[in-house]
Amino acid sequence: MVPRLIAALLLLGAFSPLPLSAQVEPSATTLGGYGEVHYANSSAAGVPGRVNLARFVLFVGHRFNDRITLRSEVEVEDAKVAGGESGGEIALEQAYLDFRVGDQFTLRAGLLLLPIGIINEMHEPPTFNGVSRPTFSEVVLPSTWRDIGVGALGSVPGVPGLGYRAFIVNGLLAQGFDGASGIRGGRQEGRDASFANPALTGRLEWSRAGLKLGGSAYYGGSANGDSTLGTGAFDAPITLIAADARYDIGAFAFRAEAANISVPDAGAINSVFGNGVGKRIAGWYAEGAYNLLRVLAPASAHKLNGFVRYERFNTQASVPPGTALDGALARRITTVGLTYKPVWNVALKADYQFRRDRAHAAEDEVVALGVGYQF
Amino acid sequence: MRRVLLLTLVALGIGAPAAMSQSAPPKKLAASLERIFGRGVRVDSIIADTAIVIRVHAGDALLGYAAVRNAMGKDQPITYLVAVDTALALLDVDVLVYREPYGGEVAYEPWRRQFRGKGPGDHLEVGREIRGISGATISVNAVTAGIRRALSDLAGWRKAGVL
Repeated sequence: MVPRLIAALLLLGAFSPLPLSAQVEPSATTLGGYGEVHYANSSAAGVPGRVNLARFVLFVGHRFNDRITLRSEVEVEDAKVAGGESGGEIALEQAYLDFRVGDQFTLRAGLLLLPIGIINEMHEPPTFNGVSRPTFSEVVLPSTWRDIGVGALGSVPGVPGLGYRAFIVNGLLAQGFDGASGIRGGRQEGRDASFANPALTGRLEWSRAGLKLGGSAYYGGSANGDSTLGTGAFDAPITLIAADARYDIGAFAFRAEAANISVPDAGAINSVFGNGVGKRIAGWYAEGAYNLLRVLAPASAHKLNGFVRYERFNTQASVPPGTALDGALARRITTVGLTYKPVWNVALKADYQFRRDRAHAAEDEVVALGVGYQF
Repeated sequence: MRRVLLLTLVALGIGAPAAMSQSAPPKKLAASLERIFGRGVRVDSIIADTAIVIRVHAGDALLGYAAVRNAMGKDQPITYLVAVDTALALLDVDVLVYREPYGGEVAYEPWRRQFRGKGPGDHLEVGREIRGISGATISVNAVTAGIRRALSDLAGWRKAGVL
């Protein structure tokens, strides 16, 4: 039966090569990128406005075959790095190899983005409202958080819509922590780094049309073999949990994130390095947006999102005995603004921020304008 | 029966051998066609322009058509199947191979089922007729545009008398 069928097909000339429209090039190199330019002006007295080419990123991907791919991003921050002047940065934001075994399992190794929160893995400017990323996503969750590591990602079999990522990455360094920006300064980012403290990190993500829920976790030491903090791999541990949600319905889009970071050895860390890191770093934000063109120009495919975001976080939600509590670090930021997208991957942005803190020490209002793109 | 379908697909050059796997693995394609059209279906193919259109039969009755296509995601092609009935109403979409690390939610049934019953006359615009997925914007746009194009191609071939 089968040989006869094949013979018949042969006669019909059915063994012709696959037509072009259904073919995939066996190997190919892809170029992409994203960038953003900012203008910001604070209401604080004597502070002039600033303009900055905040990011210019080039993406180069290569498919070696149907299973092995490379992805890399080279980033220039603040437009230029000049000899002897501070500021500016040229850095690899990611550079990793993926080995796709199947839908349930892809092996990843290299300089990778930690799967924590919304912004860290997905921060192309047209994907978020506001000229700058939420301050929560810089100060509490230190995006862009990347490091060298290895792990796996894929979909969870038997649970439609559920995906996972799990990696072992190089850990943080306690000496870089501080009161105002928490664990941010402890990132090593793959630069000829100490590997005294590995860390485990992972994320579960569940999707339906319009809805995405995520939960992330991180656990790793930060002692770096310090004689006071400990020489064990998980000494001076950092424990992070975070949750996020995104929901789009009609012309509305909502998102929210929350995170809690525990630094149980903050007292010892501060006694060694004097950096005032909180024992607990915590916060959240929630944002609602509405595409105004749905009312103003219902036929238009452009988008004009009006949005409001409220952030509340404290990098010293608790401090160990002996560490001074700074009330200015309990911050509340309200941002209202507009994002205009003539196409889905180009955004023109304007927003106004009200920045408040418990000590009323560093309060101001900031007007900001920006453009961003990705391709 | 699955085996006959499988061999036919391989013979037709529609499913690529696993070693190459640049296109749809024939096993996945056969399973997808049986899921959408029912078990025991028979296929043959016609060439329209440079594309293969799979014709799906049960006995002597023509049930509909299917086409395997690729849409470019962020940096990888997404291989998907579009299946329509004889009136070119969309029966279902299947993502046969998804190669990128993010945006794989386009393969999930709750998103794909929005396309059922749509036809060449429908606009299929993301954010209106088709709900997007947060964090999968590129894939959602690519697959939706691809489906729109496939339906329009099928309608064109029907008009030209090829189907």
